[in-house]
Amino acid sequence: MTSEDIQININDLSFNIEGKTLLHNTNLSLNGDGITVLLGANGAGKTIFLKLLTGLLTPSSGSTTFQSGNLSIKTRAFVSQEPVILRRTVLKNMLFVLEKITSEKSTLAKELLSLMGLDKKEHQNALTLSAGEKQRLCLARAIITDPEILLLDEPTANIEPNSTTLIEKYLIQKVRSSRKIFFVTHDINQARRLADEIVFIHTGRVIEHSSAENFFENPKTTEARKYISGKIN
Amino acid sequence: MNDISEAFVSSLGLILFLDAELLEIILLSFRITFYAVLISSILGIPLGAFLASTHFKFRNTVVSILFGMMGLPPVVVGLFVYLIFSRSGSLGWMGLLYSPMVMIIAQVILILPIVCCLTFQIIESLHTRYHEFFRSYRIAKLKSVIAYIVDSRFELTTVVLAGIGRSISEVGAIIIVGGNIDHITRVMTTAIALETSKGNLDLALGLGIILLATAIILNGFILFLRGKYLKTPGSTI
Repeated sequence: MTSEDIQININDLSFNIEGKTLLHNTNLSLNGDGITVLLGANGAGKTIFLKLLTGLLTPSSGSTTFQSGNLSIKTRAFVSQEPVILRRTVLKNMLFVLEKITSEKSTLAKELLSLMGLDKKEHQNALTLSAGEKQRLCLARAIITDPEILLLDEPTANIEPNSTTLIEKYLIQKVRSSRKIFFVTHDINQARRLADEIVFIHTGRVIEHSSAENFFENPKTTEARKYISGKIN
Repeated sequence: MNDISEAFVSSLGLILFLDAELLEIILLSFRITFYAVLISSILGIPLGAFLASTHFKFRNTVVSILFGMMGLPPVVVGLFVYLIFSRSGSLGWMGLLYSPMVMIIAQVILILPIVCCLTFQIIESLHTRYHEFFRSYRIAKLKSVIAYIVDSRFELTTVVLAGIGRSISEVGAIIIVGGNIDHITRVMTTAIALETSKGNLDLALGLGIILLATAIILNGFILFLRGKYLKTPGSTI
């Protein structure tokens, strides 16, 4: 199975809390390949949308289906903005998420750490890593579970530029071809670098969904135009 | 004043020359404390971790009751255990009254809520950070509870030490259920109470010094752990 076979259907999805609607009835059909960037200003509802896709939040109404042929997809991995690091070594953090630790998985863990520039730190206490290294570890830990869909919530916010570059390069060169990626950001330049398609969210509503090229060249809505020109943050 | 200073010098002599009676009382105190804290930790730490990381219908009620039990008056616990294990009590047939075993049981009743509630507080804050991660990777409940305990092991050491401090200095419950019987159930705190009432100040002071030293060493160790591991959680594995 390749990521192109995956079909993601979002049907009338909404999320309310304490009488406030944080995501309004959303209907989308997304292809299973490439990087979908969820773009929008702070507080637009990007993270809520991503957590609904991950299953961390239960929608107030509607549903999301991840289908591959007739099979539903179960393997999803989520990386949050704040890296969650367990109090153990870097390598043990990697292996923790596995149901069964095999020699192949141990080798893979070391390979992924190497790709993330953490190979020399595998026996180091993971809590002593820098913010960027922690986030790279979180990404490697997500990949080792071999997810069909990878959901990343502003993984490069608050980290040093070299880690941002490494993560972006890794996603484009190594992950994009084999998995579907959802990437939340409010950084327009990052969206330009990464996105195959854009889902633009404004005040809890998906108001644009198009290819990255179309979105940046010819935004349909006033809000998107304002956002791209930096008039909405 | 002279009597006190003489008693103090005499008590130091008892400690330095390892007086047999003194040693027997100290060893029994440590033995009872060891088993009471061990049982309380084995039961209380996983229970606290489970309660902190699980939401169920009457969770808040259970937690409130446990927190309330942290302040159980030792003499009331002693009386309660006495009534259960006395000859006419429901467990009187076991013949445990006035034995070290029943003293351990009374201490477990006192320490278990403390260990459980302190564990709950520590792991609840860890749960806030971890639960989304565990859910997103579908980590099994047992594995997550173990991870909470492993990842808060330094904080939990201070919980165990707090339990030891509570246990070794307790007198109200164990004097009722143990009876303060010489060579059988006499521990440091009950011996201090008895010897003071008898005017035998040198033995009472000797035991008091040991008890005080134990409390100071325990608190010093807690402070050492806090300084070394807890203020800088990334400093070690």
